[in-house]
Amino acid sequence: MEKKFARLNYYEMLDLKPEATFFEIRHAYNAALQTYQTDSLISYSFFSPEERKAILDLLEKAYLTLINEKERQDYDNELIRLGILKEAVKKPMAKTPVSVFDINREQGKPGAAKNAAAELRAKVAQNKFIGEILSQQELSGADLQKIRNELAVPLEQIAQETKIRIDSLLNIEGNNIEALPAAVFLKGFIKAYLKCLCLEPVDEICIRYMNRLSSLGGKS
Amino acid sequence: MVHIWPIGGGKGGSGKSFLTCALGRLLAGLGKKTLLIDLDLGAANLHTFLDVPYPAKNISDFIRKKIPVLEDIVLETPVPNLSLISGANDTLDIANLSYEQKIKTVRAISKLKYECILLDLGAGTSFNTLDFFLISQNGIFIATPEPTSVENVYRLIRSIYFRRIRHYFTAADFKVLEEEAVKLFGNDAYNRPECMMQIVKKIYPETGIKLDDDFTTYKFKLIVNQLHKQDNAALGPQICKLIEKHLGLNIEFAGNIAYDEHVHDAICQRVSFLDRYPYTRTASDLRELSKQITHSVGEQLMINYS
Repeated sequence: MEKKFARLNYYEMLDLKPEATFFEIRHAYNAALQTYQTDSLISYSFFSPEERKAILDLLEKAYLTLINEKERQDYDNELIRLGILKEAVKKPMAKTPVSVFDINREQGKPGAAKNAAAELRAKVAQNKFIGEILSQQELSGADLQKIRNELAVPLEQIAQETKIRIDSLLNIEGNNIEALPAAVFLKGFIKAYLKCLCLEPVDEICIRYMNRLSSLGGKS
Repeated sequence: MVHIWPIGGGKGGSGKSFLTCALGRLLAGLGKKTLLIDLDLGAANLHTFLDVPYPAKNISDFIRKKIPVLEDIVLETPVPNLSLISGANDTLDIANLSYEQKIKTVRAISKLKYECILLDLGAGTSFNTLDFFLISQNGIFIATPEPTSVENVYRLIRSIYFRRIRHYFTAADFKVLEEEAVKLFGNDAYNRPECMMQIVKKIYPETGIKLDDDFTTYKFKLIVNQLHKQDNAALGPQICKLIEKHLGLNIEFAGNIAYDEHVHDAICQRVSFLDRYPYTRTASDLRELSKQITHSVGEQLMINYS
């Protein structure tokens, strides 16, 4: 024989687990109302009007208690004290919305990116080898690759930051002229690449690269 | 071992006889030796469903001792493996069986040698219906998704619960229990089996445990019949949940049967619905049900009429 309804605890009344989320509580309350409402077919004639009213009042009280974070905590503590609920039952943390922008990129602290850029810039300024390459009249893809290797920036990182496909970047660095995109796009790619490595001045270096390409009889 | 399935529903017209007949045909079709007994005493129909319009023998021959052995009034039907004990043309006073007659019938039924026996019970909650329902642990309740039917099926379930408790006590002892219940729970407590059960547990703890064991071994089932498209298909499970929560009685939901106008046609033409319209939703529901019902069967139980 079941316990009388009034003696059930709120979780049992609503057929919930003690670790139920607010969403589940709301859902369970709606389901219970469907069963116990005055004009419900399910419980038609099962209760006298007084019984039904008592049950509906209890359900409402249960719902209002469980849906309120603080009251629910108090109620849980009471149940734990009475030994009905085990303390170990931890409620899952409510899910907070996840920022759409950060799904894949681990940006870390906002200062970190800035620091990385400053570091790169310092490296570029100090490194003699890079200075030599940059002082050339014309730059090839291979030169860009050398600079990148000198700065120890992986190609994947550039692809991730610039959103340029890795095979396009490989074509640029490998001087694979046949496979390069139209000049208009290529300029954009090169500029993005240079910005990523903090090489300045971007426009000028880009022009030198394009000049070299056109002198090789490539795209213009 | 014989399995007995009593089929009751409280309200008339909810499809008890139709279901009995359909299940009987399906079980017989599986090669099981099946017997249908029309226990809707005084309003028997099964013979018409089975196209045996003028049965030569009927159950009142047995009850009035014209034919002493129940086996002898079994009729063969046009369906192979399917037999019938008809209630057609029974005597006009048969609806009110005396206690001795009822016990005699119940005993005789439980001794029959068949694989499956289906009992078609009458509407209402007369003692006949309740006691025949309690012959077996496999009772099937049938309801339609209408307030009238839901009301009556609750009534029937409560009555059966009550009757089972009542079986354990003499009239005098029960009177004492009732008074006790009224004292403890208020005026209408004697009418509520859940309250009576608590009193029993308090005053006769041993009987209370026995009753508890009893009710846990029952494998009652609920079927929702004539489910229209717009009806709530979850009605059956919700009813079962409500009963479990408030009466503490475990009833398993066996399934829905879709409403189909062709059932009417089949009955009017006096042919088997399953043969005439085998590819309807209703027919497939029935086949599904018969599988489900044969798979989970409880122990047979004879009530101790001492």
